[in-house]
Amino acid sequence: MIVQDEGKPFFFKGGQTGCLLIHGATGTPKEMRWLGEYLASKGYSVLGCRLFGHATDQKDLLRARWYDWFTSVEDAYHILSGTCNQIFTAGISLGGLLSLLFASQFPVSGLIAYSTPYSMPEKLAVILRPVLPLISTLWHYFPKGEPDWHDIELHKDHLEYPTYPIRVATELHRLIDEVQKALPTIAAPALIIHSIKDATIHFQHAEKIHEALGSRDKELLWLENSGHNMTRDSERDKVFHATAAFIQRVSNNASP
Amino acid sequence: MRKILKGGEPFFFPGDEVGCLVTHGFTATPQEVRELGEYLATQGRTVLGVRLFAHATNVRDMPRARWWDWIASVEDGYHLLKNTCSRIVLLGLSTGGAISLYLANTFPMSGVVVMSTPHELPSDPRIRILRPIIKPLSLLYPSTPKGPPDFFAPEARDARVQYHHYPLRSVPELDILFQKMREVLPLLDLPVLFIHSKQDKFVPPDHMEANFNLLGSKDKSKILIEGSNHIITCDAARQQVFEAANNFVNRIAGKRT
Repeated sequence: MIVQDEGKPFFFKGGQTGCLLIHGATGTPKEMRWLGEYLASKGYSVLGCRLFGHATDQKDLLRARWYDWFTSVEDAYHILSGTCNQIFTAGISLGGLLSLLFASQFPVSGLIAYSTPYSMPEKLAVILRPVLPLISTLWHYFPKGEPDWHDIELHKDHLEYPTYPIRVATELHRLIDEVQKALPTIAAPALIIHSIKDATIHFQHAEKIHEALGSRDKELLWLENSGHNMTRDSERDKVFHATAAFIQRVSNNASP
Repeated sequence: MRKILKGGEPFFFPGDEVGCLVTHGFTATPQEVRELGEYLATQGRTVLGVRLFAHATNVRDMPRARWWDWIASVEDGYHLLKNTCSRIVLLGLSTGGAISLYLANTFPMSGVVVMSTPHELPSDPRIRILRPIIKPLSLLYPSTPKGPPDFFAPEARDARVQYHHYPLRSVPELDILFQKMREVLPLLDLPVLFIHSKQDKFVPPDHMEANFNLLGSKDKSKILIEGSNHIITCDAARQQVFEAANNFVNRIAGKRT
């Protein structure tokens, strides 16, 4: 079918506190599914959305714009609102950027950003920014680098597109511009989690996001033995516990 | 920044084990099927009204949309519903009906309500003439304004949230989508209800006849209503549509205990 089997979006109905989970660029909702199952076991309602152009065919990403991804999140927010009175957004990498930007536009109760960039991490993409749209019409895909997983078995089980569509870099540039403008305006409580061994996004990005965030209630948590995909890598339990503890503290509810 | 048009947001109403997945039509928004969804929710059903890709934002998003993006939008809704619902009924208006029929061939659904759905592209002579060159033409002339609304009920006209233009680039996508629908129609064998208005000038009722005749299902029925335009979920006879849809859902999914 159109959506890859394990890349399906998911919804677990629970209490009136909802968790909106957002995967990363070229990834699928599968990245967030274990986290979602954990949060559902704690009694929260959970929706793992699928960003436009993802979990289908990588050629679909050539047509995707950053605001399509933003409206994918907005769709999920309205759907969760049908059963929840407070909503937390939690996203990894691109999902973290969307989680931040969304919190600047909609009344979320709190946000979590995992492995999220503050600026464009790839130097080549920064240098080529003005010509990227042109390049991407001629040359569609850029090969991915070496994976940085700490749990090799899990890496084999990972589901994502095999390359980076170059158009995605242009959209990330634009989204990052929006997020940098929005950061000081965000007031929602925020939790930033990053691994000091993240080989895709250096941990300094997390420090910059933490510094620029307008939120008074903001936490920064470090991991030491994970790669970029922390919601599935070897310290995922630490990530799950920290996420649930943050949501419980902020939602100030004994029961979800 | 793109935000979803006010009133055009997707919606979810939690309810029982019977999930109603409701899909709007081309260039429209979930607004046009929201009242139907609310009606089914008051009957105890779980209801999800999805937003089709590139709809309810800006008409300039439409040229990037392909027919399979719209299928995937509804498929997303199916995956969200199936964790909480044991039976799923699809309800689609116009193009939403074609998508629903297509998905009924792919996933285990309990039934389909097909409303005002075309059998093929409307026989507008402009479309017939321009069809071969419409892709390049759409680069120069991306959209054409819609004609005046023909609602019987003025409140339905005033409440409408939609694009005011037809994007040309979508014509070949719709053409393929209706073709895919026609391909699966003979293969289907699940309960299907067609509802159409006699006064639908946009998609005349003979489209329903053609779809009905091609459908493989043994359990198929059709209702011809009066006093509505194409948008039968909003126009004057909408109550009749809600009741017919609800009766169908009750019959195939079993009364709520």
